[in-house]
Amino acid sequence: MRTAFRLLVGLGVFGLALGTVYWFLTSEVTGSVLLWSFGLMPLIVAAWIRRRLRAGGGSRPADRPDAVPSAAAGEVIGSFPAASAWPLFLALALVLAGAGLVYGAILLPLGIGLVAFAVLGMMRESRD
Amino acid sequence: MSTTVDRPAAPPAPHGPHEEPRGVVSWITTTDHKRIGILYCVSAFAFFLVGGALAGAIRVELAEPGRQLVTEQTFNTLFTIHGTVMLFLFVGGFGNGLANYLVPLQVGAPDMAFPRLNALSYWFFAGGGVLILLSAVAAAGGGAAMGWYAYPPLSGSGFSPGVGPDLWILGMALVAASSLLSGINVITTAFLMRAPGMTMWRLPIFTWNAIVTAMLGLVAFPPAVAAFALLFIDRRFGGHVFDPQGGGDPVIYQHLFWFLGHPEVYILVLPFFGVITEVLPVFSRKAVFNYAGFVMATLAIGALSMGVWAHHMFTTGVVDNPFFSAMTLLIAVPTGIKFFNWIGTMWGGRIRFAVPMLFAIGFLLNFLIGGVTGVMLASAPIDYQVSDSYFLVAHFHYTLMGGSVFAIFAAIYFWFPKAFGTRLSEAIGRWVFALLFVGFNLTFWPQFVAGLRGMPRRIADYPSGLGFETPNLLSTVGAGVMSVGVLLFLVDVWTAFRRREPAGDDPWGGSSLEWATTSPPPHHNFVTLPPIRSERPAFDLHHPELDPGAGR
Repeated sequence: MRTAFRLLVGLGVFGLALGTVYWFLTSEVTGSVLLWSFGLMPLIVAAWIRRRLRAGGGSRPADRPDAVPSAAAGEVIGSFPAASAWPLFLALALVLAGAGLVYGAILLPLGIGLVAFAVLGMMRESRD
Repeated sequence: MSTTVDRPAAPPAPHGPHEEPRGVVSWITTTDHKRIGILYCVSAFAFFLVGGALAGAIRVELAEPGRQLVTEQTFNTLFTIHGTVMLFLFVGGFGNGLANYLVPLQVGAPDMAFPRLNALSYWFFAGGGVLILLSAVAAAGGGAAMGWYAYPPLSGSGFSPGVGPDLWILGMALVAASSLLSGINVITTAFLMRAPGMTMWRLPIFTWNAIVTAMLGLVAFPPAVAAFALLFIDRRFGGHVFDPQGGGDPVIYQHLFWFLGHPEVYILVLPFFGVITEVLPVFSRKAVFNYAGFVMATLAIGALSMGVWAHHMFTTGVVDNPFFSAMTLLIAVPTGIKFFNWIGTMWGGRIRFAVPMLFAIGFLLNFLIGGVTGVMLASAPIDYQVSDSYFLVAHFHYTLMGGSVFAIFAAIYFWFPKAFGTRLSEAIGRWVFALLFVGFNLTFWPQFVAGLRGMPRRIADYPSGLGFETPNLLSTVGAGVMSVGVLLFLVDVWTAFRRREPAGDDPWGGSSLEWATTSPPPHHNFVTLPPIRSERPAFDLHHPELDPGAGR
């Protein structure tokens, strides 16, 4: 976690510094904003990792070079879905909604309705 | 329905039955990262065959002056869809597929962090791919024909009035969304789901490269999607964002597009740098040379690649050429370090010239030519001279085809036994390599010559007597040789599935964790995890007589 934190902070500082240098060299707005936002994005994740580190997340078995496999025995890694038709359904609904934008307004409400249905379906399934 | 997964304890926890549908339904509803990875790779390869067929048509059209296989408008559609398909759907898709398949295995996790999101990212990719293909064929008279970077005003409703570009934009937006979801998954998995002892500094180089690729995607895709959305508004709803007559600025589109476009070429090559770094040590029977140097070089390439986008815009005259020249030249340094390390890895090793190794060496040779011509192009005065010529076409095909695609074949031959439990043929594989290597260089080396002689790209015909005939004829012959190589590869896959000779769990003597489980790996990947004491846990497991990490 500490390595990930350092990595993200380094990337963020690099982006902000590069954006600033670029701004002073060129005064060009688009590129400067893009570079600054490139700097800000990893810092958001870094801030989250810092919170976890403070809560004691730095001593996980995955971060200890001498940890043996049994160190994490029984640790619940997560809950993994076996199979789901919703991702396919949601992608098809989005394609339909997109086709609505291109081919005609009739498809659009249908597409949006199906997208909403698929999003709700995925959300409900993930609670199981 | 979901299964809660615990870390396997030692002795191994018995693996309970899991509820999965069977047959085709099991594939289209799967949330297993291995199946999604295979779906990605197979779809990407199917897109490669489509893109290759389009390239074949382009090469036949250009074989000699005066030949008109297709109309000029159709030719424009051919190169537009060829470029889009090969970059975003084949090389990008295959990279995502490899990351999906390998990252959880290499970090010792049972699956990706968000399996349903992972399935969603595949279906966005597939849906986007279909829309991009439809943009060429289902839009009579108006197929997408504006080049793969869709610059306005050419891509505006005035010059491209059909629905083709609209479908292309929607397809690209879906592919971008897929990349974002996939990136979130890869980063979360690698940061938070590593096995005990698998510290960040023991991650296989492929996983490191997948992390940096994912980060690049997360930063670079959103501006491009914004650009596509604004372009769509300009086209369909009368916007003027990129329309100079309405007070808009087409150069902003170029900034937004290339802020994706340049990191994208690293998104398309970094996973394959990772592949090469996995293949070379295994077939040199050594540990990777300068592990930390590889990681730092990957990070440096990733970071620097964010600051070079406007070297694609040198000739617009409105960007700071020295800044972008300098940044671009800087990228050559970490790339050079990687080359040094690859050679260092092979140096003094007992090299086995198996098929994955042949493709990896082919990658080194081709990519070096692509890289060196890239350094030439980083110099603005040279770029002014050869911009939009076949020199450029040859350069990026040397990086992406000679580089990434050769690495893709290395990856297929290397991990096929792991994914399917059976090996591809060494004998056929050597022929595939020979045909692709000779065919590739025969196709693209002459294009450097044609470019330096002044042949512009994206033209359906050219006059005779300017020195373009011989390079173009050679190129077309080379494309034919490559096609035979690809067909032979398909034969190889078909015969491998017919033979079904068991490959064993670790046919090559691999180093990373995926070689410590069965071939193919079980559901949720590992029944037991070996102790992880170095960056080569599978090697340590199979050679307990050696000190972990020895031989570095």
